[in-house]
Amino acid sequence: MSKELTYGELAALMKSNAGITVDAGLLDGHPETPFAEYGLDSLGLLGIVGALENDRGIPIAGDADSCKTPGAFMDVVNTSLKAGV
Amino acid sequence: MNTQAVVTGIGVVAPNGIGADAFWKATREGVAVLDAVTREGCQDLPLRVAGEVRGFDVSAVVEDRYTVQTDRFTHFAMAAADQALADSGLRFDEEAPFDIGVVTAACSGGGEFGQRELQHLWGKGPRFVGPYQSIAWFYAASTGQISIRGGFKGPCGVVASDEAGGLDAISHACRNITRGTGTRAVVVGAAEAPLAPYSGVCQLGYEELSLEEDPERAYLPFTRHARGFAPAEGGAMLVVEDPRHAAGRGAEVQAVIAGHGATFTGASRWAESREGLGRAIRDALAEAACAPGDIDVVFADALGTPEADRAEAGALADVFGKRAAKIPVTAPKTGTGRAYCGAPVLDVAAAVFALRHAVVPPTPNVTDTCHDLDLVTGRPRPAELRTALVLSRGLMGSNSALVVRA
Repeated sequence: MSKELTYGELAALMKSNAGITVDAGLLDGHPETPFAEYGLDSLGLLGIVGALENDRGIPIAGDADSCKTPGAFMDVVNTSLKAGV
Repeated sequence: MNTQAVVTGIGVVAPNGIGADAFWKATREGVAVLDAVTREGCQDLPLRVAGEVRGFDVSAVVEDRYTVQTDRFTHFAMAAADQALADSGLRFDEEAPFDIGVVTAACSGGGEFGQRELQHLWGKGPRFVGPYQSIAWFYAASTGQISIRGGFKGPCGVVASDEAGGLDAISHACRNITRGTGTRAVVVGAAEAPLAPYSGVCQLGYEELSLEEDPERAYLPFTRHARGFAPAEGGAMLVVEDPRHAAGRGAEVQAVIAGHGATFTGASRWAESREGLGRAIRDALAEAACAPGDIDVVFADALGTPEADRAEAGALADVFGKRAAKIPVTAPKTGTGRAYCGAPVLDVAAAVFALRHAVVPPTPNVTDTCHDLDLVTGRPRPAELRTALVLSRGLMGSNSALVVRA
């Protein structure tokens, strides 16, 4: 089982993979604010999922790359990581 | 073109200057900036001399997301577009996003970005290729990103017609304006970033590429020492506008795009480019309702091989007759190198400034010509200028001419 993804890591992935600066606390405090409002597009999210999979060394199950909000994304990713598939 | 579109803004990112004012000052004085290639990974290429854009701070001109998601050629184009829009004073109207379009030309693409991702592919595997590879490398990237960033939803296009596409893009933009469908302005131009290892290797196949090591001798068109051209990065963007709209908002008209012609005569068939370039010039003059005698200055293509130079001088003789030897001809790009599609747009920018300041900029590094041309060398030449002719040819066979009027 891989350890859970944190909002801090998500913020770092948004910066490194899509060039978008966002405060981790903002993501955590407003999990329903759509990625689009931060300027993250579908390609950016796809890149984040790829980087996460490469980093953790396991595939992420579910449709993480089609999640619209940070909250939904964290749910999908952490459910997958917990299952450790 | 019935209603002729006008230039109201100019933005430049060039080896001899970032910003239109710096570019014109260096161009007017004939400052030569060709130098040793220093970009990362290029030191071992047999290409020794090029025009690099140095001191370009990408983080100062575009947001982080674009530095991550797009290639250097798009960074240049976005920076130049911002300058052109600021120069024009054109304000984006949220109520009318469809009134402004974007057209760029490209023939090198995002080679640096693409190379990095392909290295990930072969070095680490397909899972390590970033998704922005799908959009960053290709020719349309700059048009798309400028459109998205500015909210410009009018006619957008990409002209992939070889180096001369820089002029064809301007014509295309003007047609979007003059066909009367409500397009008020188009952000148009080209910027290239071919000085990266993969892109450099691609160019080594061009027999016209100069491999000369001495920056002062690498690119000497129209001379007995002509040995090909030095490449460059950078380019220019313009705002072209409906003249009624420009007048309505009190914008300063910098020049009129009066006519354009384009032909195609085949890759590296330079002898045949004589007839093709001649025809492009005649078509541009006809569209501008100009007689050959109206042309006051020629910004030459100046490819820099003996055969290509002979063909260009021949085309000018064919169109202008005996007067060809008396019209001031200049090639400012000998000081910077040829930025592919960006090169003729830089020449258009220089032509607009030349008309406004009544001075023909010189041809850097060139001191004499072996052709029957009045090549302006050494220092800027004051002259009454009303109409300029800008010429461009591509290595793949395109020939274009653009008439620019004060």
